[in-house]
Amino acid sequence: MLVSLRLLLLTFWLGCLAAPTGQAATVVIVSSELSPAYAQAAESLERELERTGWSRHDMLQLTAAELAGAGVLTPKLFVALGAQAANALALAPLKAPVLCALLPRSSFERVLRSSGRKASSQFSALYLDQPLSRQLGLIQLALPEARRIGVLWGPDSQAQAPTLRTLAQARGLTLLEANVEQGELLFPGLKAALEGADVLLALADPQVFNSSSIQNILLTSFRAGVPLVAFSPAYVRAGALLALHVTPEQIGQQAATIVGGVLQGKALSVTPLYSQDFSVAVNEHVARSLGLRLDAVALRTLLRQREAAP
Amino acid sequence: MKLGGIRHRMLLAAVLPVALIAVLLAAVFLFTRFDDINAAHRQRARSLARQLATACEYGLFSGNVSQLRTLAGGALREADVRSVAIVNAQGQVLAHAGKPSYQTQPLLDRQEREHFEPNADLDLLLQPIAATQVPLDDLFEAQVSTVGGAAQTAPAQLLLGHVLIEFSRESLNQRARQMLLTGIAITLGGLLFGALLAARLGRGVIRPIARVSQLIERIGAGELSARAEVLPDDPLREVQQGLNVMAQRLESGRDELEQRIATATQALREKKEEAETATLAKSRFLAAASHDLRQPMHALGMFVARLAQLPHDAPTTHLIGNLEASVQALQDLLDGLLDVSRLEAQAVQVQLRPFALADLFEQLRASLSLTAQQKGLRLRVRPTQVWVLSDSALLHRILLNLLSNALRYTPAGSVLLACRSGADGQHVRIEVWDSGIGIAPEHQSAVFKEFYQIGNSERDRNKGQGLGLSIVERSAQLLGYPLQMRSSLGHGTRFSLRVPLAPPGVALERRSPLRPRTFEDIAGLRVLVIEDDQLVREALVSLLTSWRVEVAVADGMAMALALLKSAAAPDVIMADYRLRDGENGIEVIHQLRALAGQPIPACLISGDTDATLMQAAAVASLTLLQKPVRPAKLRSLLRRLSRAVQADGGDGA
Repeated sequence: MLVSLRLLLLTFWLGCLAAPTGQAATVVIVSSELSPAYAQAAESLERELERTGWSRHDMLQLTAAELAGAGVLTPKLFVALGAQAANALALAPLKAPVLCALLPRSSFERVLRSSGRKASSQFSALYLDQPLSRQLGLIQLALPEARRIGVLWGPDSQAQAPTLRTLAQARGLTLLEANVEQGELLFPGLKAALEGADVLLALADPQVFNSSSIQNILLTSFRAGVPLVAFSPAYVRAGALLALHVTPEQIGQQAATIVGGVLQGKALSVTPLYSQDFSVAVNEHVARSLGLRLDAVALRTLLRQREAAP
Repeated sequence: MKLGGIRHRMLLAAVLPVALIAVLLAAVFLFTRFDDINAAHRQRARSLARQLATACEYGLFSGNVSQLRTLAGGALREADVRSVAIVNAQGQVLAHAGKPSYQTQPLLDRQEREHFEPNADLDLLLQPIAATQVPLDDLFEAQVSTVGGAAQTAPAQLLLGHVLIEFSRESLNQRARQMLLTGIAITLGGLLFGALLAARLGRGVIRPIARVSQLIERIGAGELSARAEVLPDDPLREVQQGLNVMAQRLESGRDELEQRIATATQALREKKEEAETATLAKSRFLAAASHDLRQPMHALGMFVARLAQLPHDAPTTHLIGNLEASVQALQDLLDGLLDVSRLEAQAVQVQLRPFALADLFEQLRASLSLTAQQKGLRLRVRPTQVWVLSDSALLHRILLNLLSNALRYTPAGSVLLACRSGADGQHVRIEVWDSGIGIAPEHQSAVFKEFYQIGNSERDRNKGQGLGLSIVERSAQLLGYPLQMRSSLGHGTRFSLRVPLAPPGVALERRSPLRPRTFEDIAGLRVLVIEDDQLVREALVSLLTSWRVEVAVADGMAMALALLKSAAAPDVIMADYRLRDGENGIEVIHQLRALAGQPIPACLISGDTDATLMQAAAVASLTLLQKPVRPAKLRSLLRRLSRAVQADGGDGA
């Protein structure tokens, strides 16, 4: 009873405060939508800021849809969570810098293309995907025997191909590449990529890896005896062996660090950043069926240690 | 036939609902079953198509045609599957099995479709094959839909191709047919069973009805002893019991009635026999009495006649006159009684023959003119030339009685006997008129009864015996002549009798229109008297002798024959009918005639009034004189017979 009363009073107070002081918010967080991932990221962000001494009054949470009706906002920084929010903020004439988070690199680049912007200290990003070197590192950690890595390039991921080739070569790995063009059948490329591969590395590209295709991709790779290393825990649940990913909380935390820096007067990184923290997911069933014993926590720890080491 | 109608109706009433229910139930169950197996068929077909589609997913994804063929072949082995085709998203047939009935590929889209080919009895099922959706809840994917816009939106579900599978309905239809046949068989069986049951149960009702009906028919036909056999489980038990009671009552009622009728008949018969016995006794008495009275009466008459012939002094003569009158009255009474008894005994035979009425009238006039004269009355007989067809004796008796009556009851004036022609030309009316006292209307119907006399309670003998009109009526009835009487008190009476005329063709000859009076005197006539009764014999001899007739006497046949042999043949034989030792007069006369060699005129005298005797006499052509024979009558007979002798003698001379 007392709690609810307090909550009511707080809400009222916040309501009274928010309207006139909306413009007074220091940080405006714009979420693409109100799904749990965004909420978790936003919550993590706010909590971290609060922990570092910021008040919640300095933060304003909006959705991309609410942005248009929010009036003139004059924060020190905008944080866009998700591609939609990033797109909305990219199109808005804003003075404050914008940090785009919780979106894959391909999406950020598409936003830049469609808005005509360039990555700058005014419009930077914190990618959702993991750096290719880390992914290769994880593969080498988890599957030390693997030498040949199959990769399927789609329209959105094609751009990363040279980078990956360079990285692979540096690590003594061979890439078995295949392209899947728009509208083309997946299977021939997939078959080519799997031919002789020790592991299939899935890179985020909705044209290739989506909810309709993943089942058959997993089935094909499983039949071929090639484990799939993916970029999201959902793939692990669907049957991928490993996934290297970053959680919304981790994104939120890192975003909070960046936000804190900007609020303290630092500029945003001109080049978009990859998340420093990450998580590893393992499908124990798949691992067992492949005769592997993998521990997600251990892998993460090891990977972090290796990254920390020069 | 009627029972047959009932039987049919009962059968119909029992079977019709059963038939209706059986047919309805069969129809409902069959339709339900058809629906069920149809639904099952479709469900199975669809699930097979879905399974096949699922199985084909990876084959289509991977373009593994051989796998798809294996799958198609496997599906074809399933029951009822006729053809299978697996088509990729581009509409290209990757694998097929069996021969499809469709020529062109049907429309393929994301919907599950179904086509029914009625001609081929085939179901074509279209099953889209979509990639299995794995929910990723992925941030990577979400960005695309928002940033990329509609054009770049990934398909919600990737369509990999289609499965086209054809199912035959043959087995389905066969099962349906079997089911229908089974249903019909069960229905018919049920109907048959129902009909048999109804017939069997109906028989239990029909039979008692038939029994009751038959029983009623038998009772109706008069067989009242018929009884229904009452069975304990009979549905019409009470009716049959009631019928039995009814039949029993009818029977007992009829028996009782018959018993009563028999009793009554018996009583009647007894009464009748009693009456007949009484009548017979009376007749016998009368006959006996008349016979037994006749004999002495006969003698008495003759004695008195003889006595009168003797010379007497005046008082004695007067006394004899009274005696004669008394004898006369007694004889009249006896004659009347005799007539009545003969008529009553129906001993009188009507012998019709044509004769001249004038003769009869003349006889009557001759008989009664003396009486009329004595009474100072005028008896007028109107002459007539008419011949009638009648019995002269009976008619004579009728008229004699009527005239005697008229004379008796007419104190002064005249009595008329006349004959008038009838209006039709076939009859005459004989009338007897008198100017007498007349009969009062209240007595007119009673005057014909025996011994009925008006104003003669003291039974004055001079007023007759009261038998005359009774004899008249009976005789007229016997002849069939209507008798009419018209009378008014103080102005006389008229009796009329309708008598048929003789047919015109009859030879109308009067045997002796003028009676020859040449041999009036019978003196010297030789008469053989055969009489067993001595008293009568003596009286007769005495009388005949007084007429100066030569009399020979015999008491029997033997003596008569002896007399005939010893002396000359008599002129006339006069024989009593009943003789001693069983002899009779007819036989004696025959014997005498035979012995004499000539038909000697003869007459019979008898006290019997027996009809057979009269007939026998008539057959023998013998005149029968009834005792007591009046002297006058006897004399006239002798006179007549002597004429025959004279004629014979004349002829002989």
